[in-house]
Amino acid sequence: MSAPPVPPQRLWWLVAGFGVWCSALVFLYAVHAIGCAFAWPAGALRPVLALVLLAHLIVIGWMWRDHWATSPAPGFDPTDTFLHTVIAWTLIAALVTIVLTLGPALALATCV
Amino acid sequence: MSALRLHRELAAIWATGPGLQRLAAVNHSVIGLRFMATAFVFFAIGGVLGMLTRVQLATPDSDFMDPETYNQVFTVHGSMMLFLFAIPMVEGVAVYLTPKILGTRDFAFPRLTAYGYWCYLFGGTIITMSLVFGVAPNGGWFMYTPLSSNVYTPGINADVWLLGVTFVEISALTLAVEIVVSVLKMRAPGMALDRMPIFGWYMLVTALMMVVAFPPLILGSILLESERAFGLPFFDPKRGGDALLWQHLFWLFGHPDVYIIFLPMAGALSTIIPVFANRRLVGYRAIVVAIIALAFVSFGIWVHHMFTVGIPHLALAFFSAGSAIVAVPTAVQIFAWLATLAHGRPRWDVPMLYVFGFFFIFALGGLTGVMLAIVPFNWQAHDSYFVVAHFHYVVAGALAFPMLAAFYYWLPLLTGRTAAHRLAVPAFWLVFIGFNLTFFMMHLVGLLGMPRRIYTYPGDVGWNWLNLLSSVGGFIMTIGFGLVVIDVLAQFRYGRRVRRDPWRATTFEWAMPIPPAPYAFASLPQVGTPADDTEAGERALSLARGEGYLGFARNGWQETLGVHMTSGAPEQLIVLPRPTYLPLCTALATATAVLAMLFHFYALTLAAALLTAGLFVLAGQSAGLARDYGPLPVGHGVSVPPHTEVAGAPPWWALIFTLVADGTLFASLVFGTFYLWIAAPNWPAAVTPAPDLKLALAAIVALAVAAAAARGSMRMLAIGGSARGWIGLAMLALLAAIAACVALIGGVTPPPREHALGATAAALLFYVAVHAGIGLLFLVSNFLRLGAGLVSPLRSLDLRLTRLWLDYSAMTAVIALGLVLALPWLVAMLGARP
Repeated sequence: MSAPPVPPQRLWWLVAGFGVWCSALVFLYAVHAIGCAFAWPAGALRPVLALVLLAHLIVIGWMWRDHWATSPAPGFDPTDTFLHTVIAWTLIAALVTIVLTLGPALALATCV
Repeated sequence: MSALRLHRELAAIWATGPGLQRLAAVNHSVIGLRFMATAFVFFAIGGVLGMLTRVQLATPDSDFMDPETYNQVFTVHGSMMLFLFAIPMVEGVAVYLTPKILGTRDFAFPRLTAYGYWCYLFGGTIITMSLVFGVAPNGGWFMYTPLSSNVYTPGINADVWLLGVTFVEISALTLAVEIVVSVLKMRAPGMALDRMPIFGWYMLVTALMMVVAFPPLILGSILLESERAFGLPFFDPKRGGDALLWQHLFWLFGHPDVYIIFLPMAGALSTIIPVFANRRLVGYRAIVVAIIALAFVSFGIWVHHMFTVGIPHLALAFFSAGSAIVAVPTAVQIFAWLATLAHGRPRWDVPMLYVFGFFFIFALGGLTGVMLAIVPFNWQAHDSYFVVAHFHYVVAGALAFPMLAAFYYWLPLLTGRTAAHRLAVPAFWLVFIGFNLTFFMMHLVGLLGMPRRIYTYPGDVGWNWLNLLSSVGGFIMTIGFGLVVIDVLAQFRYGRRVRRDPWRATTFEWAMPIPPAPYAFASLPQVGTPADDTEAGERALSLARGEGYLGFARNGWQETLGVHMTSGAPEQLIVLPRPTYLPLCTALATATAVLAMLFHFYALTLAAALLTAGLFVLAGQSAGLARDYGPLPVGHGVSVPPHTEVAGAPPWWALIFTLVADGTLFASLVFGTFYLWIAAPNWPAAVTPAPDLKLALAAIVALAVAAAAARGSMRMLAIGGSARGWIGLAMLALLAAIAACVALIGGVTPPPREHALGATAAALLFYVAVHAGIGLLFLVSNFLRLGAGLVSPLRSLDLRLTRLWLDYSAMTAVIALGLVLALPWLVAMLGARP
């Protein structure tokens, strides 16, 4: 008996990791712009930005846990295995991209 | 059944008629070739314009062209190469090859493909003719405001760009939706996602990028044209607008566009290299991950085109880091190709020359890209010829060399012959040497300080010999391209004759007659083992004899199979529409609307727009099947229902991805509102906004009623009753919503022409009204199709599509009207800031 096909909804996971990266970039850019426009002090703006970044890292972590919990059994549907591997690597790549592109910038002067 | 008899039966169903009937063509092979041929014509025109600029700049103090002519020539050169050559060429390749590579007979919406082509042709013609009449766009291919506003560009030059390019973009968007749906739903039976040729992944990701990338530019063009035509000051700082909003909207499209051009060509490389390396592509999964990453990161770095506009360093660092890191997924692909070659037994032929040309050019362009990603260097090189050199290496090089590789690789599919080396090899070297001589010199002259977009320069600043060499290189490259054209023409007559599948490839486009028949496959291949493993030529005869799926003709239908998205299992029988003049007529009506807008005949614009909408509704009347059929045999003992009787039919997915594009446009509009609120000068306005709460609530309630009535019509249809009452109620509700929006627009304060605050409120309300209006078209179509017997409890797709549209309209209306109601509060916040 063949395994049931992977549901099409699973494909959303292919874009989920980098979707979180996009969300992090947009929120950080927006909060930073609002903070600077309303002259928030650096001592307040920087922690808010850090919190936004942290929230997105937590989301990626949660997604990773959820994804790992649905690992296909060995020898299972090869399409499922393929998608599982690709999704796992997009999550890893998105995490690394979030950390590298958005993390170090937070140490810079806020509104100069 | 014999192969010949099957061929005759299928050809009678699928063929395009002779003579004028060619104008009714909807077949992907015909339209794909037209796209590529038309794109090549625009490439030739754009190339001549490029050469004219090189003649002008070859020597200092040149008076070959006056400044105005030069401005028009370089602007149309850039616009044409990007919008009329690069993107449409990519689309042409996608339209022609994707169905064949994926083992299906056509795209999901052949009439939309044809409409896209005609829109492209007419839009491109408008831009080209403007050059002949001396009113061509003259503000650079990115049309920056305020230069392109009617204060500084009072003629129709900028309007030609805004309307012509938007026209072409509509074509691109329709094709993007079509590609996404076709790749996801129309593959060879058994072609699970892990067995899909890598070209399919590239096209899928590229098309999804197009769905999201084009709407911000379409919105920007609409807003700028509204400013120019009606005085709505979105980009005028004196009236609360901001010129930088245009740059944001433009580059939200412009940067991903580079990758939209590159990725399909990378897909071609990923298809060609394994064939010539005699081994499977190394790192299939890694490449899939890389192109997904590339697609996203390419969107998140649009600001690197705006490093000098005064954005705080912290924000610049986000985009600088992103711009550097985007090199990683690109490098993953490069190393995968190199590894494929290193681990294979490479053989040489003309396509491989261009592949190696690409490696050299793209590596150089990539490295200067990383240099420009670094903010301090960017500040130095900004607006200099270094940038011109960089983008020609990444856009022209990354497109031209793989394109020529692909051209030489797939030309035998059309001609049954391969290139004569005596011409093809010297042509390559002339193009390669000419390209590098032209554009490498631009790096140096840029570093010496030569700015972009100047029509001449003095003779004592040390730029003379570099410019002269660059111009000489341009002529060498042009001679090379000329030789390529001669070689291709010669190939048709004198090329080496080859049998089917001359390269011993494994993709399905070679498992068909040469040149391909209009039905592509006499029967659809079954993918049982990884598609990359079996030589296509071995399958061809069996497929021609009808031993695959759908190896027969039935009811005169153009049949192909719809499959499960992930597993590729047969799921539905898709019956495609036959040739029709409707796409041409609809595109002509659209072109009339565009031209009338260009010459300020607004009543005619409205009439032509309504005619266009009417023709779309009319097209719907000849779609689908007039009765329920239930499961029908498709071969190999499998029976599936027609697409009209399943939940996940292609139109359903097409509407979902259309709404993704629409949602991106809406998000861009919301972004624009907040951007002006926070960044534009002269806010708040002297007059405080005071939207009418009752009218806004009435509009929301009316849209909610329409959405609920759409559900009522579905329920009624399901129990066999008449849905017309519910449809009528939904129509009345939508008319009420439109009336409320029009009343709200009439009462917007400050007046939309006086301040951007009022203009953005009016734009948000207009968005809601337009969506309610389109909802009315859905309902009219439902009404007509119910009457024609094209809708039944089993064939309820029409009503489900309407429900989805009205749900989306109601949802976005809540956000848009909520934002309009919140404007007084947002303005008050601005007043309170220190």
